Amino acid sequence: MELTQRDPSSKPLRPDEPELDLYTIPSQSSWFLWDEIHDTERTELRDFFDGSSFTRTPKVYREYRDFIINKYREEPTRWLTFTDVRKSLVGDISLLHKVFKFLEKWGLINFSANLGNNSNVSSRSSSLVVVEDEEDKARVKVEGTIPNAVRVGASPNSPKPISAPPIVGDSSGDAVESGFKLPPLASYSDVFGDLVKRKGLVCGNCGGNCDSGHYKYTKGEFIICINCFKNQNYGENRSMDEFKQIEHVENSSNQGAMWTEAETLLLLESVMKHGDDWELVAQNFQNKSKLDCIAKLIELPFGELMLGSSHRHGNFGGLNGNKNGANQIQLSSSELHESLKTEGQSHEQMNEKEQNGDAVDEGPPSKKQRITSLSDAGGSLMKQVALISTMVGPEITAAAAEAAVTALCDENSLPRETFDVAEDYISNGICSPTTSFEQERVLQDEDSKLKERSTQSEIQDTSLKRDDMPLTVRIRASIGTALGAAAARSKLLADQEDREIENLVAIIIETQMKKLHQKIKHFDDLELIMEKEYTEIEDLKDSLLAERIEVLQRAVNAGICRWRDHFAVKS
Amino acid sequence: MKAPALSFSKAPVKFRMPTSANLVPIRLDIEIDGQRFKDAFTWNPSDPDSEVVVFSKRTVKDLKLPPAFITQIASSIQTQLAEFRSYEGQDMYSGEKIVPIKLDLRVNHTLIKDQFLWDMNNFESDPEEFARTFCKDLGIEDPEVGPAIAFAIREQLYEIATQSVASARESRISKKGRRGTEHATSSKSSGSALDLVKLFGYRSSVVRKRKDWDVYEPIVDHLSNEEVDALEAREVRTIR
Repeated sequence: MELTQRDPSSKPLRPDEPELDLYTIPSQSSWFLWDEIHDTERTELRDFFDGSSFTRTPKVYREYRDFIINKYREEPTRWLTFTDVRKSLVGDISLLHKVFKFLEKWGLINFSANLGNNSNVSSRSSSLVVVEDEEDKARVKVEGTIPNAVRVGASPNSPKPISAPPIVGDSSGDAVESGFKLPPLASYSDVFGDLVKRKGLVCGNCGGNCDSGHYKYTKGEFIICINCFKNQNYGENRSMDEFKQIEHVENSSNQGAMWTEAETLLLLESVMKHGDDWELVAQNFQNKSKLDCIAKLIELPFGELMLGSSHRHGNFGGLNGNKNGANQIQLSSSELHESLKTEGQSHEQMNEKEQNGDAVDEGPPSKKQRITSLSDAGGSLMKQVALISTMVGPEITAAAAEAAVTALCDENSLPRETFDVAEDYISNGICSPTTSFEQERVLQDEDSKLKERSTQSEIQDTSLKRDDMPLTVRIRASIGTALGAAAARSKLLADQEDREIENLVAIIIETQMKKLHQKIKHFDDLELIMEKEYTEIEDLKDSLLAERIEVLQRAVNAGICRWRDHFAVKS
Repeated sequence: MKAPALSFSKAPVKFRMPTSANLVPIRLDIEIDGQRFKDAFTWNPSDPDSEVVVFSKRTVKDLKLPPAFITQIASSIQTQLAEFRSYEGQDMYSGEKIVPIKLDLRVNHTLIKDQFLWDMNNFESDPEEFARTFCKDLGIEDPEVGPAIAFAIREQLYEIATQSVASARESRISKKGRRGTEHATSSKSSGSALDLVKLFGYRSSVVRKRKDWDVYEPIVDHLSNEEVDALEAREVRTIR
């Protein structure tokens, strides 16, 4: 059943701890904090804090300071010079110099660097040891965790932490996210298409996921995870007060929307009118977002029914879409939001909903949702089997069921007829045979309603008829079916993957060949040019020689002997 | 944190060198009877003028120049000082002004190219100290390089300051005439100054883009004797 666990690639691992870098700074500089500007700094570098100019603000100072210190810490043994730094900083050179000298004076930079002459180093380090021995006088302060955001090497997520529109910001339900993204048996395009539409809350500091809530920077698009917040890694220029905590959806939807009666009515009306076009629906409300509307509608006791009516048409498409993974990417945005909203609910609620026909209102994404619930380990084995089998195409299920039944027959020497009814059902290519089980009747009926309303009555008939079959056999048959189906599916996927890879390799080779050809051509051209130039130079040489001879000739003719004498003396 | 939109507009500054020491850059280039004397140094405009003659006498004596140089040197310094003083008391500019300073000079065997920004409102700036750090960081041993760099900076600052006096005067005149004020100020005064709002605005970072690093990086070349000769020869040729 591991197959149904969430796909690891869809979710970056949550960082256990921000990486720690240790640096040594002199004890007298222990006031230094990444996230604050100390009074020492304020008094010594008053220019930045008297508000005299917008080119000298505390923010600018912080940026200067952080950059210089980070630059030094890239390679702490190297002596950082002002000239190294200034090319990368915009601003008055004198002011930069002042900052630089200040940092150097306090040992925040160039403290453990060797200046080239070794005597300096040894004296430094020895004094350090002494300092550590007699603890009282001074202690070397060890400083950890530099804000990653100001790392000098341009790391991929540093320049613009993430663009986090509110929709994403609220989608932070825990495991659900991954379930939404990927069905476990994803096709190629599922897996890689995901990279394109990847949305998640990424901490601007440690790059980890901020599933369980995050803090938002109020002055721009920047969020950090709770971990970083606790560790006071606010990133450059940001202080604690500027962050606003954002819990997950429950909170935000609660705070976001207080619904009056009239508004609820209006919402219902507009949903009736516009269906699932939430953009349009939300336009009717000035102070509510799309998400608010959706959340409210879900809260309403009959909201699902309404949605169900607007979605029913998508059901069959969903079934096919499962087979053809590419379809999943084409999900309309409204469907996307819907699944988001369900994700927002707590898990219990979700399970409950699923069982009660949550699937009905959702169309295509429903399956993925169900899969997620698998990983909760809340569902029974039967449920899981049923889910697996819904993930493959009907023909595959049919074939798998056939095989399973045959195997069981051989094993138990049961009359084949026992399964006839089941096979009937399977050959309809509807759903998994488990639908027929009594104890799962409620759930599965919903399921089959979803899948194929037209045959619903038939199913019920068959299920009634089959009540006399031995239960264990039926269970085994269905498990066999499901696993077989899954195996077939994975085989297909593997083949597809193989083809894909082959294709890509071919493309790469072709491109390389093209590149080589281009290069050869380029060199040919160069050679031609060189040859041309060579002949030109030769010509020039000849003409120069000729000229020179002519000049000499003329000089001789004119009889300037003195010049020649002079020349001879000199040479 | 203050809001970035605070108005920082200031009263116009009276003319002076935008450095901590108000020194006039003076350049001498005098040729008498085939003998050429070139020099560059700074002069404190508040020194008494009698110093000028003393200085020129001393220089001529130290360098063993013909006495004809004394008056020439003295008058050249006097003219340049007078020009500097003519600007004094006038309005220079108002508001922020950060200008790019470009160095491109050769001192003996050292060739220096560099570019950086200078705040015209920072009256604590010190070109001499900058030059000292420059030489130290880049390991330049020639003692003449530092002063040359400082002088080059001062010369450019001086030029920018005088230009802004002119533009300030112009904009005042056009304000009186009540026409085209906006145009005059925007086109004249922001000529060499940078778009500071763009550079220091709230959204932008003062850390430069990596691709610009090369532009603002100092380049120092040590030339061989032959190269120096060749360069000097070329300079002589261009002058003629």
